[in-house]
Amino acid sequence: MTGLPALDIGIGVVDPGAFFNAFLPAMPFMILMLFLALFAMSFDFISGYTGYLSFGHAAFYGIGAYVIVLAANGLIPGVPSGTPFMLTMLLGAFLAVGVALAIGAVSFRLTGVYFAMITLGFAQVLYELIRNWSYVGSNPMEGPTLEGTASIGVPYVDSLSVALGRLSGDSFENVLGMGIDISATLTSYYAIGLIVLVCYFAMQRIIHSPFGRVMIAIRENEERAEAVGYNVFWYKMGAFAMSAFFAAIAGALYAGYRGSASPDSTFYFLVTADALIVTIIGGIGTLAGPFFGSVFFEWLEDILSSQQGGLAPYLRETLPEGLLSVEVANITFLDLINTVVDGRAPLYLGIVFVLFVLFVPNGLLGSVRDRLGGTVSKRLPAHLERYRR
Amino acid sequence: MIESVTPMLGLVEAPLVTDALGRFFQPDTLARILIEGLGKASIYFIIAIGLTLVFGLMGILNFAHGAFAMVGAYLGGVLMVVALSSGSGTVTRIALFIVVAAVIFALLTAVGAALEISLVRPIYDRTPMYQILLTFGVGLILEELARIITSSQGIQPEPTWSAAQATIPGVLSAPSDIILTLFGARIRGFYLFAIVAGAALAVAVWLFLTRTLYGLYIRAGSEDSEMVEALGVDVRKAFTVVFGLGIGLAAVGGVFLMWDPTQGPSVMLNLDVLLYAFVVVVIGGLGSFKGTLVAAVIVGIADSFTTWLFNTGIVDFSGLPEVTIFLLLVIALIVRPQGLYGIEEVGGH
Repeated sequence: MTGLPALDIGIGVVDPGAFFNAFLPAMPFMILMLFLALFAMSFDFISGYTGYLSFGHAAFYGIGAYVIVLAANGLIPGVPSGTPFMLTMLLGAFLAVGVALAIGAVSFRLTGVYFAMITLGFAQVLYELIRNWSYVGSNPMEGPTLEGTASIGVPYVDSLSVALGRLSGDSFENVLGMGIDISATLTSYYAIGLIVLVCYFAMQRIIHSPFGRVMIAIRENEERAEAVGYNVFWYKMGAFAMSAFFAAIAGALYAGYRGSASPDSTFYFLVTADALIVTIIGGIGTLAGPFFGSVFFEWLEDILSSQQGGLAPYLRETLPEGLLSVEVANITFLDLINTVVDGRAPLYLGIVFVLFVLFVPNGLLGSVRDRLGGTVSKRLPAHLERYRR
Repeated sequence: MIESVTPMLGLVEAPLVTDALGRFFQPDTLARILIEGLGKASIYFIIAIGLTLVFGLMGILNFAHGAFAMVGAYLGGVLMVVALSSGSGTVTRIALFIVVAAVIFALLTAVGAALEISLVRPIYDRTPMYQILLTFGVGLILEELARIITSSQGIQPEPTWSAAQATIPGVLSAPSDIILTLFGARIRGFYLFAIVAGAALAVAVWLFLTRTLYGLYIRAGSEDSEMVEALGVDVRKAFTVVFGLGIGLAAVGGVFLMWDPTQGPSVMLNLDVLLYAFVVVVIGGLGSFKGTLVAAVIVGIADSFTTWLFNTGIVDFSGLPEVTIFLLLVIALIVRPQGLYGIEEVGGH
């Protein structure tokens, strides 16, 4: 974006390159968005479609992430360290399914707040165990990291030497002779994006199957679903297990990309809270909603991040010196930017979240659907038709 | 995976276990575990009782509870530091502490009532989940504001704000740390202080519940809030008062945690308090005063017992107290889903 000419908008000169850098998300945030979107979708799959708030969902995310790193370090018995990423990812996902069935077996006797609390309890037990378990790494509080020669890559694609993760450092130059260079980060982005897309379609397929209809029936009226003759317990267990499966895949992608997993960024209660936030912003009970919520979440994180390319550095460089040093009550405007803009995404996210809960309870996608009177794909052609004629 | 779990838990051979049992049944050990446990129980009770009152009447699980405890801890710290800038003796400090706790209780009760009127009231007609989400969002905002303010005041890099923690009188902490010798056990003064304060607060809340009109509303509302409304009670007004009181009690809990040797004012207090309050309230039965009291004692004793186990090296697993507490939650929910003294289908929304 550096080749664009500078614009003079009267009050000052705007450099479009810097402007776009400040307001468009950078690649690492796009990748974070994908993990978060998949995790939030899996959270919404159980919480939005069956109405059982899975408050300990981070546990499954964490299992997926830890299995990847531990397998790569050769710490899982029977799994040598060179096992392809896709296999260890599935291993983690099936382990999460097993754990979900165990947790679900006792938790689904409860409903409402009690269900949320017992899943939270299980997740916190796992969190405390994992962060004190010296087996996983030299400092379990920080979590394990990839050791030495261990590397993580995507199988089949591996033979093309495409590896997942910026740590692997693979890149393509001059792709297909078109003069396009693809960095390792961008490669990861597409590889992860593909898996997230496949998972999205799989979940979408389940929601629209008879199984998914029963899930919605349970959400709307569990007694009635039971009276109709469905064994609701097993449907809830099935939905919980599937959602754990996809949550673990999200965790696996995260750990594969980062090359490490820490208890606080995987197993902790706040990770579930992030999924909850983006699900509400995007629209609970709409599978694609959490994705849009995540886009918003990571975009906000990015423009308010303290790293290069954020809003704060942009303001610091763009605003005239005179304005920056304006002083009110011993605080200069520059100080104000540094304290209330730089890296303050959670504050604005909290405010936006509260506003959404108050005024947009159905979230972004839910509100669009209410407005259109159906899903976007079904209703949009008719709406466009009006403008075409 | 299974084999590797055993070394993690650090369970030791039989001779050490019998030795540990021998040590456990010493009068000094028992006295220490009991007193420390009751001290911790008092703190658990103080931080959980507000949550249970609000849930009992309104069916709202207040996710901003921990954030208000954190606000209480910081505000308490500010008031104590300002008031003690000239330095003063033990009695003055304790007296000031009580005054500060009372001031913060009044202040935050007003804030809580305002919060209920402005934000919670408009969404009563929705499913209870949205009230949970709203309070959670409020908690997020408060936590981030605390982070901004503490970092601009230069107290953020420390995990806890030591200046506020240092206002504790020497009798209750200090290197001498230990004032009372009971059966040969040496006990931290802070825990005795907490026991007295917790007992006083429990009596105050109990009197409020049994002797005042609002207490009657709460007790009746916990059983059947629709019926209470049908009998002509202005439940809306009761909601405002009780929500305010819940927040005020959370803040008082925060003021206590300011002096807690293992806590102190910190942004982390938000989630720590929230999770522990949940555990106590859920084990005791959501909305039950008696349940909260009993659960706080159970969790407090379990906490002090497991801390003792770890500190004496019988079990070398540092996360033991936390794991035990959350396991208690899980076990309680499996065995008795409605909690020890809870009513099934509590929170009539």
